[in-house]
Amino acid sequence: MLTVNHLIFLSAILFSIGAVGVLVRRNPLIMFMSIELMLNAVNLAFVAFARYLQNLDGQVFVFLILTVAAAEVAVGLAIIVALFRQRETIDVDEASILKG
Amino acid sequence: MVPFALSLLVLLPLVGAAIVLLIPKGQKSDSLIKWFAVVWSVIPLLLASYLWFVLFDPNASKMQFEEAYLWISSINVRYHVGVDGLSMPLVWLTTLLTVLGLFYSSYVIHERAREFFFMFLLLETGMIGVFVSLDFFLFYVFWELGLVPMYFLIAIWGHAEDRPQYSAIKFFLYTLVGSVLMLLAIIAMYINTSTATTPGTFDLIELATKRPFANDFVFASLAFWGIFLAFAIKVPLFPFHTWLPDAHTAAPTAGSVILAGILLKLGTYGFVRVLVPIFPQVFQANVLPIAILATISIVYGALVAMAQTDFKRLIAYSSVNHMGYVILGVAAAVAIGGANLTDRAIALNGAMLQMFNHGVITGALFFIVGILYERAHTRDLKSFGGLGAKTPVYGAILLTASFASLGLPGLAGFISEFMVFRGAFATLPLIATICVLGIVFGAAMMLWKVIQNVLLGVFDEKRWAEQEKHGVKLYDMTRFEVITLAPLLFLMVLIGVYPSVILNTLNTISVAILGQIVK
Amino acid sequence: MSLSVPDLNLRIIAPVLIVAISALVVLLGELVTSSAQKRGLGYASLVGLLAAGGAAMGLWDAHAVAFREMVRADNFGVFLTLTILAGAVLCILLSFDFTRAHRIETGEYYALILFSVTGMLLMVTAADLIIIFLALELLSLPLYILAAFKREDERSLEAGLKYFLLGAFSSAFFLYGIALVYGATGTTNLARIAASAPSEMLLIGAGLLLVGFAFKVALVPFHWWTPDVYEGAPTTITAFMSVAVKAAAFGAFLRAFLVALPALAMDWRVVLAIIAVLTMTLGNVAALLQANIKRMLAYSSIAHAGYILIALVAMGGAGVSAALFYLLAYTLTNLGAFGAVIALGEGERERLNVSDYGGLARMQPLLAAMLTVFMLSLAGFPPFAGFVGKFLIFGAAVQNGWAWLAVVGVLNSLVSVYFYLRPVVAMYMSEPVEGWGAPRVAPLVALALVLALIGVIALGVFPAPAIALAAGGLGR
Repeated sequence: MLTVNHLIFLSAILFSIGAVGVLVRRNPLIMFMSIELMLNAVNLAFVAFARYLQNLDGQVFVFLILTVAAAEVAVGLAIIVALFRQRETIDVDEASILKG
Repeated sequence: MVPFALSLLVLLPLVGAAIVLLIPKGQKSDSLIKWFAVVWSVIPLLLASYLWFVLFDPNASKMQFEEAYLWISSINVRYHVGVDGLSMPLVWLTTLLTVLGLFYSSYVIHERAREFFFMFLLLETGMIGVFVSLDFFLFYVFWELGLVPMYFLIAIWGHAEDRPQYSAIKFFLYTLVGSVLMLLAIIAMYINTSTATTPGTFDLIELATKRPFANDFVFASLAFWGIFLAFAIKVPLFPFHTWLPDAHTAAPTAGSVILAGILLKLGTYGFVRVLVPIFPQVFQANVLPIAILATISIVYGALVAMAQTDFKRLIAYSSVNHMGYVILGVAAAVAIGGANLTDRAIALNGAMLQMFNHGVITGALFFIVGILYERAHTRDLKSFGGLGAKTPVYGAILLTASFASLGLPGLAGFISEFMVFRGAFATLPLIATICVLGIVFGAAMMLWKVIQNVLLGVFDEKRWAEQEKHGVKLYDMTRFEVITLAPLLFLMVLIGVYPSVILNTLNTISVAILGQIVK
Repeated sequence: MSLSVPDLNLRIIAPVLIVAISALVVLLGELVTSSAQKRGLGYASLVGLLAAGGAAMGLWDAHAVAFREMVRADNFGVFLTLTILAGAVLCILLSFDFTRAHRIETGEYYALILFSVTGMLLMVTAADLIIIFLALELLSLPLYILAAFKREDERSLEAGLKYFLLGAFSSAFFLYGIALVYGATGTTNLARIAASAPSEMLLIGAGLLLVGFAFKVALVPFHWWTPDVYEGAPTTITAFMSVAVKAAAFGAFLRAFLVALPALAMDWRVVLAIIAVLTMTLGNVAALLQANIKRMLAYSSIAHAGYILIALVAMGGAGVSAALFYLLAYTLTNLGAFGAVIALGEGERERLNVSDYGGLARMQPLLAAMLTVFMLSLAGFPPFAGFVGKFLIFGAAVQNGWAWLAVVGVLNSLVSVYFYLRPVVAMYMSEPVEGWGAPRVAPLVALALVLALIGVIALGVFPAPAIALAAGGLGR
């Protein structure tokens, strides 16, 4: 039997994979995909909680997150494309005129 | 009665500073700015004189010309000003030294005059503000307000060879370290005096009656030492004095005069206005360490001064020595000993008079050093000699000021130092005995290093002739220089022969302060 | 089953609506204006912002709740709304000539700022985590674009990319935090969260929310994007981000922790205190080492976030009102400081190095004096706004038993004096640098600077009214 605990556990694992991906990968596209993975882990958690709590708020939240994620894609890819046009590379390590 | 007298006194220099900024640019704007600033600064002096000599009641122990308005209601900060016998003479001295400093500067400052006179007037507002504030928040605001212009005065118009920017930032940071700790203590006192229903207070008068942390010696000590540090750095008390010689040496002449004459007094004023009435128990418990620091300042200051070859540095270190007497006097006044109120009041009177006298005497000495530097372009004591005969007016003035400084009877310094020792021998006999050494060294330093090196000895004709080719020209005091110094010399003599003019005022208030803490 | 109509109350979101509509108008206006008329769009944005300000003032003391308790117009929200609007107005005043000089003068520029402001205003009035999240995204997305707005400039694009990646990354944490809070309490409404029983999941959720907020307001250890982004973004946008995002994010931060999680916030207090210490110290020490003034101000903004966090740690009414006052003071002061940097630019060149400020006191005495005032206010000198702000924050800390935190804060502001004085020292005590003409200040920039200056001095000398307004309080 699949309980809410299993689902939350899965979502935590997905979230962690995503977070590690952002931290270790240097290609913005991959980093971006990792972020998407984190968002979907959140979605999973919301759906699981909504079902467990018998409450639709969580499912509504998922729709909002999907919409926002789509907007983020549009903005993020636009910036990445603009940078690529300028530089012919998108590696974050090479994008380092600004020293941290 | 003058309505809003003290507010006027605080605001007038600020208004003057604003007008200085507005004077249109032009060929003659510099001289216009100079004359305007000097003439304008006379107004606060006249006002302060009128307040002190005509309206002020020397026998009243309460605050006079008080004004109080709620300023920041949510934290009960008030715009509360007033003067008593402790602050009135210092306010007056501030206005006097500002006039003299501006007057002297109008002859010797040629670069960036607008900014100089602006800063100087702003500084005056800050200093008067500190002396008249009876609200600790307001006090702090003015305390910091004076810091910035002084920083600029040293850093911009300082002597290039004395690392003015380094000295200025050192002065700035030292003072700031002390003042932020004071800020915390102010907040702590406010919160301690607040109750569930009534807000706390920043009012110095109320604080003196409410005695924050009265039952909590540890916190009282923390607050005490926080404030103590702020004032001790300003005085400056050994070992917090190291900014002083640098700042003094680098500062332009008028800046040094104000620094020594007024800014150092802010520290000792704070001792008497804040620490003694608000934390009498803590002060009494710590009288010995404080008195020992004062002793070290006195003896060490004199010894180090004696070792200097730079005339200005010597005077700067002599300030450490002289301000030590003030702290000694205060410590003697609050010390628990067999002494009765009279001895302690004498010590406090001496300390307060010494503040005033040091402002007059050291102010004059810094003018004197500056005047010599204008001619010789050096302050090295070894390069002078025999000036007494060549420049008799200068010699006479230097002689008078030096004698006043070393405490010759008949001149101002003697009275106050005598009173400090008279009180200290009664309450802190051992300390006072050691401090007598400071008098001896102080006299030696003035006689041997200053008078002998500069005025006596052989006049080196050849060297001066040689130097004349490089624009160095020796001439006696000009009229404007004599005018600058005349009021200060007059005061030295006046207080020396007839100290009652000011002592009555001081005595009322020191009896009141001590009467309050003896309880 | 009956279908209830949600309590639509457009009045209490009137400021948000007005700004959103202005954004749409400006966006459409972009289509019908020639390149010489873009300035008009800027004026239109100003009108929209001022109208929103008027509407917000009408909400004072309204204490209204609407949209199924998703939006709450309390005085806390109105104060921050006005703070953000003031920041936006000043930013747009600074932008007119800047965008022209940098060849980014388009309608989108203004529209994006307005969209971002819409998100900010929504964020400070939001009473539900859903709205906070949406508002956070609405304020962030336009800023990603604005940071990258100079498309020919690799630095700007890089700033935009970094800001975007880290912003999205932090949103994910924030969302996961919301998910856990929702799972633990069954609701996303702040007031109802407060009413539910504490649990471990709620504690973890609060921690993740904290991470999300910490990214947005740049608290250590989530601060490292700040200097890069602030340096690369167009200066007007940097100025805007440094103040308005802080005000909005701190608004939601305070509301979320003090309204929804008061009990948990107690548990998090020690952690927050440590973060505050690290943030202040790192911000100030790193700022000491910077030669670039934009980076210096970036680190200084990190340090200021640390000061504000002290107010959050102190909690209670005193803490909240101190934080609000501080945010207002910081908004005016920092925009003034950035405004002076912008005013001194020459075409596309900007005076970015501290040494570029040499001798300015002689060429531009008024501007030099203004920058000095702003720097002194940032350093916390009386009688300027920054001093009163710090005084209130440290006072709140001492009052609530966090005296040691106040001591650390005070020592930190001591360190900060040194780097804030560096441009001042250069202006007054160094010789002018070669290669720079005498700066000419555009009238609108001058207007922005004067407004900021008046604000900084007025808040410093007569702080009582603003403190009273800031004490208006957080509706629960």
